[in-house]
Amino acid sequence: MVIQVSDEELVQRFPGEPITHDNAEHYRGRLRRELLLNRCAECGRWHAPAKPICPDCWSSRVTAEPVSGDGVIFMAIFLHRGPAAPGVDYRVPYPVVAVELAEQEGLRFTSTVVGADNKDIYIGAPVRLAWTERNGSPMPVFELQTR
Amino acid sequence: MSARNAMKDKVAIAGASTTGFVAKNSGRSQASLVAEACIDVIQKCGITREDVDGLCGSWPSAAVLQSVLGIPAVTWFGNPPIPMVDHVATAAAAVHAGLCEVVLVYHGAYRAAWNSGSALKDPFRRIATPGLSDPRPGPETMAAAVGYTAWASRYMYEYGVTREDFGLVAVNARSNAVRNPAAAMREPLSMDDYLTAPMIREPLCLYDMDPAVDGADAFIVTTAERARDLALPPVLINAAVLGQVRHNEEDQTVSLRQHGQHVVIETLKAKSDFWIDDIDVYFPYDGFTPITLNWIDNAGWCKPGEAGAFLRQHWDEGARRALINGRIPVNPHGGSLSEGATQASGHMREAVHQLQGVAGDRQVPDARRALITAGGFFFNAQGLTLHRA
Repeated sequence: MVIQVSDEELVQRFPGEPITHDNAEHYRGRLRRELLLNRCAECGRWHAPAKPICPDCWSSRVTAEPVSGDGVIFMAIFLHRGPAAPGVDYRVPYPVVAVELAEQEGLRFTSTVVGADNKDIYIGAPVRLAWTERNGSPMPVFELQTR
Repeated sequence: MSARNAMKDKVAIAGASTTGFVAKNSGRSQASLVAEACIDVIQKCGITREDVDGLCGSWPSAAVLQSVLGIPAVTWFGNPPIPMVDHVATAAAAVHAGLCEVVLVYHGAYRAAWNSGSALKDPFRRIATPGLSDPRPGPETMAAAVGYTAWASRYMYEYGVTREDFGLVAVNARSNAVRNPAAAMREPLSMDDYLTAPMIREPLCLYDMDPAVDGADAFIVTTAERARDLALPPVLINAAVLGQVRHNEEDQTVSLRQHGQHVVIETLKAKSDFWIDDIDVYFPYDGFTPITLNWIDNAGWCKPGEAGAFLRQHWDEGARRALINGRIPVNPHGGSLSEGATQASGHMREAVHQLQGVAGDRQVPDARRALITAGGFFFNAQGLTLHRA
């Protein structure tokens, strides 16, 4: 049974995250360790970040649906300094990648890569979804498919 | 893109002034810096505050600035988002439409508490920094300034170039800034200095980003007719564009060949009476070095990915700077990399000074036409063509 957390509790579970009416289901999905992105029920197109309507066909029938989380690194950077975050130590440059997801050309999701040497994190490398925690709540990340 | 351009050459920039910029806490408020630049430009143009009937700038708000300067009454004002071509373009449109006749355009660059550790220690700056206590997401984002680092990684990957191509932009800027007393950073920079500098967000280093500064620029925008009667030579606005495409989030932008800059370039070419072969001075934005390379690619100086090679081909090794076809300098004031985060107010001010013939040691002989391509890729690509009347 899926327990539906309240909007109030959702905001408390993800401090600092820019939660809106349009991406709340994405964050509820995180609590179940499911990566949900908005998809149009009329034309089937995916959209990220979350939009209130379908920017392609203007349908308002947009729902958050799970993606596989498989994809290819499209952009890769390494932060030598950055905002304070629990579990992030910039003494080893922290990788941040935009991953082009398998579901649709141009559909990207940005996060970090875990469990890999920075030298193995490069544009073109295939990745899959993994999960860690931030402030006690699940956070979607990527790991290299070659592992 | 529509080529319609009803205000072409009908509106002029009558003057431009600056306080100069410093990469340290000035001990002054943003309003104080902006007021200094505004008073100077009003006086240099030979007008009074009673002549000003429009205000358009970044910070402080038009209401605060009007109160500070004691401007009796305005009939139009606005505070559009940065970068600053927006403010000149919007002011020009307001003048052309008849909402007002003389607009004071201003920008206050100010070291904010979120982008400088020493600014954070200044209690007044903490109060003056909007959104300082807002919730912020963690490091797993490409949003805001990080986006240019992300696309730098893509630029290197797609075109097979190295960081040295970014370094050429940084070296060129500093070599030019040596002759600009308004610049915050005036020490020459070598390619070795660049390549050994600390990484901030790899693949970009300390010298790939504009520094946080205190300082202000101000402009008078009015009808071409009225500008002819003022103290300085009028600089006519030939065309102005703000370009944006649908996929304008940093990590969703389609490609290096499909973003706001392409809208700006195509539209400017359609609206403007002159293009790159006709200009005397060139101002590609340089808040981050990869932005500059992309502007050079997209303006048509060279093929996509060849901006670094283009700069090398037009490099003056003695002066350690680019001089296109031996005559066109690139950001002769040193750009934002040397003046700091002017949000292109510095590029426009230098263009006005070059076209007015008052650029001092940096003067390009008989400069008549300038191209300014301001801002980045996503929601801030802007363009402006200016020429001497």
